[in-house]
Amino acid sequence: MQREDNVLMGTRNLTGGYDSDMVLENVSMDVYCGEVLVIVGRSGCGKSTLMNHLLGLLKPWEGTVTYRGADIWESPERLDSARKKWGVLFQSGALLGSYTTIENVMLPLQEFTQLTAPERRIAALHKLDMVGLAEFAHYYPLELSGGMQKRAGLARAMALDPEVLFFDEPSAGLDPVTSHSLDELMLSINKTLGTTLVVVTHELDSIFAISDRVIMLDAEEKGIIAVGSPEDLATHHNDARVEAFFDRKAVPSRS
Amino acid sequence: MKTIRDSRIIVNNGSEAVFSGVITPRQLRDVSRAFNSLDARGEVVLDFTGCSGFDGVVAARIWSGILSLEASGARVKVTGMAPNLVKLLSDYTALDRRELPEVRQGWLFRHFSDIGEKVAAGLDSARGLVNFSVNSAFSIADALLKPHRIRWTLVAYYMEQAGVMAIPIIVTLQILLGFILGYQAGIQMGTLGAAKYMPRILAYSIFWEIGPMLTAVLVAGRSGSAFAAEIGTMKVRQEVDALEVMGFNLCGYIVAPKVLALYAVMPFLVLLSNFSGLFGALLAGEIFLDIPARVFVEEIRTSLIPLDVYWGMIKSLFYSGIIAITGCFMGIRVRGGAAAVGRATTSAVVSGIFQVILADALLSLVLAEIRPPVI
Repeated sequence: MQREDNVLMGTRNLTGGYDSDMVLENVSMDVYCGEVLVIVGRSGCGKSTLMNHLLGLLKPWEGTVTYRGADIWESPERLDSARKKWGVLFQSGALLGSYTTIENVMLPLQEFTQLTAPERRIAALHKLDMVGLAEFAHYYPLELSGGMQKRAGLARAMALDPEVLFFDEPSAGLDPVTSHSLDELMLSINKTLGTTLVVVTHELDSIFAISDRVIMLDAEEKGIIAVGSPEDLATHHNDARVEAFFDRKAVPSRS
Repeated sequence: MKTIRDSRIIVNNGSEAVFSGVITPRQLRDVSRAFNSLDARGEVVLDFTGCSGFDGVVAARIWSGILSLEASGARVKVTGMAPNLVKLLSDYTALDRRELPEVRQGWLFRHFSDIGEKVAAGLDSARGLVNFSVNSAFSIADALLKPHRIRWTLVAYYMEQAGVMAIPIIVTLQILLGFILGYQAGIQMGTLGAAKYMPRILAYSIFWEIGPMLTAVLVAGRSGSAFAAEIGTMKVRQEVDALEVMGFNLCGYIVAPKVLALYAVMPFLVLLSNFSGLFGALLAGEIFLDIPARVFVEEIRTSLIPLDVYWGMIKSLFYSGIIAITGCFMGIRVRGGAAAVGRATTSAVVSGIFQVILADALLSLVLAEIRPPVI
């Protein structure tokens, strides 16, 4: 499934973090068109930081983040137009509590397209139907379960048919069955719509179920320690930290 | 991506529209224009043979275009559309026909049920507030008996936040208010030849009403709201639940420091506020009313009795209890998200001020008679 000729986005020599806290150092990675890329690593290794950099929520200290070959920080317009091609599912779903589910999904349609109200409704309803929530269109987020809130968040992320969907720990707080069905939903979006998925997770089951490629980060290296298919990383990798992660073993810190 | 540039919509004789390339949301207007220029009186052919795709947004426009053509009597024939796009449009139609469960009832029903619900909610919250106040009173009394269990650093923190930080605004406002009232009272009383009584009247009204009331309103606005927002946010982030399951006494841990801090600072804020107001009135007398400061002070000295000074401070103890406990109660009642915190803050202020005025009225009814006549 690798399409190396078709890099959609990536980082070049990215160094960054929060305030004065450097989390990533000299990181270069690519996201290929149509793949499911999973970013893994232990807590505190910079998975979310890397995603925030990819999303343009954090500005690189050094290096660049590119989307379709251009630096997203080149100009504010560039960042804005790139963001319209991305959808993000935040950990909690991040639905606006004062709007119903369908109003949440219609929000980006209202802001960024010239669709009329009935057209917005049907487009939003279709996205809700894809995640299996059409029946709950008029419910408020508070009236939905955690898994449903995430699916509704996913419907909102897909409202504008993005080219890339980002997921921040999609299985956090979900039971294994719900988490599995979310994985299947993500896969079917990837297969039927060809959407590129970038997923931050540490759930081994999810990693094997969905990923085409895995990037593993490490806190001490402040960067990538392994790249490859999940099977490759799990079976033929010599790095103790990679092995330990896939064997669910604790490794003593090397410092 | 070169197909985007090649995408085109051509209308032939008003009876056929030919779509080609990938149609993007930027071409929504072109799609509408094409549909509008089609003649709805006969058969209309939509030819998608050359069209390699469109997204959900464009699909919604095409779908509604077809619907409105059909509604105005045209026979619409779609040709050459890729199966996945046909499915997308038919999904739209199927979804549009599906009955969705409505959570919200009709507006008429909602109107009437709202009235009842609001009354019930009001009663409920009043009952809750009474319960909460009683509980808090007991647990604060309990905490005072075991002073080592009170977090005094927090008490000091809230004393600073609610007391020290409030001084500039209270002093400024009260000087202004005293000045305005002194000036107006002086002019009006001057027409009766009673301008020299202005200091007495002003001192009485500031010490008995205006000083404590303005201070209470400001403290409710600054600190009551802050307490509600702080506790409400803790509640949303499940911090309150965490404390509760760890076995903490919520009242002792969250409420007591705030209440004690307000009890400690409020009497002095009122005192400060009273004298600031008096100073404002003194300025008005000196500048506009030919009442020299020396005379003003002498007047006050002979007319004020110690009760006047204590009275505001005593009232402020009632007020601080009301403000702190209402603020905490509104915070603890928060359920849900960001909007609920906002509502809690609003009701902490509104309900706090309302209760302060109510308490003031009751106290006046009972005790106004004990003050000997000012003039």
